[in-house]
Amino acid sequence: MQTNPFYKFIYLFFLLAMPAVFISCNDAEKPTGQKKTEISIDTLHKKESVNPYITYDQSPMDMSYYPPDYPILKMNGSDTSSLVARVIYSRPQKKGRLIFGPPGKGLREYGKEWRLGANEATEIEFFKDVMVGKSNISRGRYIIYCIPYADKWTIVLNNNLFTWGLHLDTSRDVFKTDISTTIQNPPLEDFTMVFVPANNGTNLIMAWDDVRVSLPIKVKP
Amino acid sequence: MKRLLLIVLLMSTCIVNGMAQMKLPAVDKSPMDMSYYPNNYPLLRIQDKASEPLLARVIYSRPQKNGRGIFGDLIEYGKLWRLGANEATEIEFYQPVTIGGVKVKKGRYTLYAIPDTGKWTIIINKENDIWGSFKYDSKKDVLRVDVPVEKQPDNLDVFTMVFDKLSNGINLVIAWDDVKLNLPIAL
Repeated sequence: MQTNPFYKFIYLFFLLAMPAVFISCNDAEKPTGQKKTEISIDTLHKKESVNPYITYDQSPMDMSYYPPDYPILKMNGSDTSSLVARVIYSRPQKKGRLIFGPPGKGLREYGKEWRLGANEATEIEFFKDVMVGKSNISRGRYIIYCIPYADKWTIVLNNNLFTWGLHLDTSRDVFKTDISTTIQNPPLEDFTMVFVPANNGTNLIMAWDDVRVSLPIKVKP
Repeated sequence: MKRLLLIVLLMSTCIVNGMAQMKLPAVDKSPMDMSYYPNNYPLLRIQDKASEPLLARVIYSRPQKNGRGIFGDLIEYGKLWRLGANEATEIEFYQPVTIGGVKVKKGRYTLYAIPDTGKWTIIINKENDIWGSFKYDSKKDVLRVDVPVEKQPDNLDVFTMVFDKLSNGINLVIAWDDVKLNLPIAL
């Protein structure tokens, strides 16, 4: 008997996605100050009734390069060799909620690890050896996550790639640093990660709601 | 083409200006997405349920139909298309594969298409991390393969790419509007 592969795919998707949804609380849907609510897979994707595959995510994916807009520079022929870094992340929205706050108040609670986005773990790739903070980081691909507090964030690089949510294996942490937070004014609706030029390299800006954090990355000569 | 370049130049100027004022980028109109094979590999992995090793990942942007005619209209027949929007679509293989009889080493590549009425030419190219298909260079092609167009009864609003399992490999399913294609990828 032949089953339609698309139904098979949907079935598989439901089967696999449901448990993961429960363990990886969804940034887009968890209401503030309440216990974890049941989340249907439907809420993860914008609905399109006739799409048998997947419609796009509630928290859409995006990427940022350093040098900024490197693909456009490359297309214009103005930069062809100096690719340094790329981050791939998903962008949840504030939707009127308090984002960073003490346990029970913020969507992202102080002291609790956060995947810096939504859906898959956020991925950062260095195309050259770099210095992050004061540490040497070899070129390659990592996941990046944070532990937010009121006055600082702990930023962590980890090499447990291709994971959903934050399935933490701290034994695979390769780097950790604390960075003080600054106020983002006006507050940002969409979680944003972007590289901006800085002395001898770049700062990776991570900003959402009224919080901004800046991770210094130096490019080795 | 010239007009497109002008638009892009203007856009990049805006972006550079925006940078100076620390204006952070808004969400894209055609949001980015990715698909893995095995399907939902990151979910499988955290549950220790991945029965096959990671094979491929495609990263692409997802334009919407929005009531427009797509193929032969918005996307012209016989013209190169980036298979998405924004940056050129990227495909990464984590194992060596064979596509259209050509061996492809593991690594990152860009993916383009030349759509036509009965078939599309799918192109895999070595030039990564580039915007659109404006600077596409056929000298950097890894392979070109023709795949037949299938009609699908329901019009898809959102451009979609997913992997589908076959007995001796996988298909990359490419679907938008009333058109669907299967790009066979053999192990």
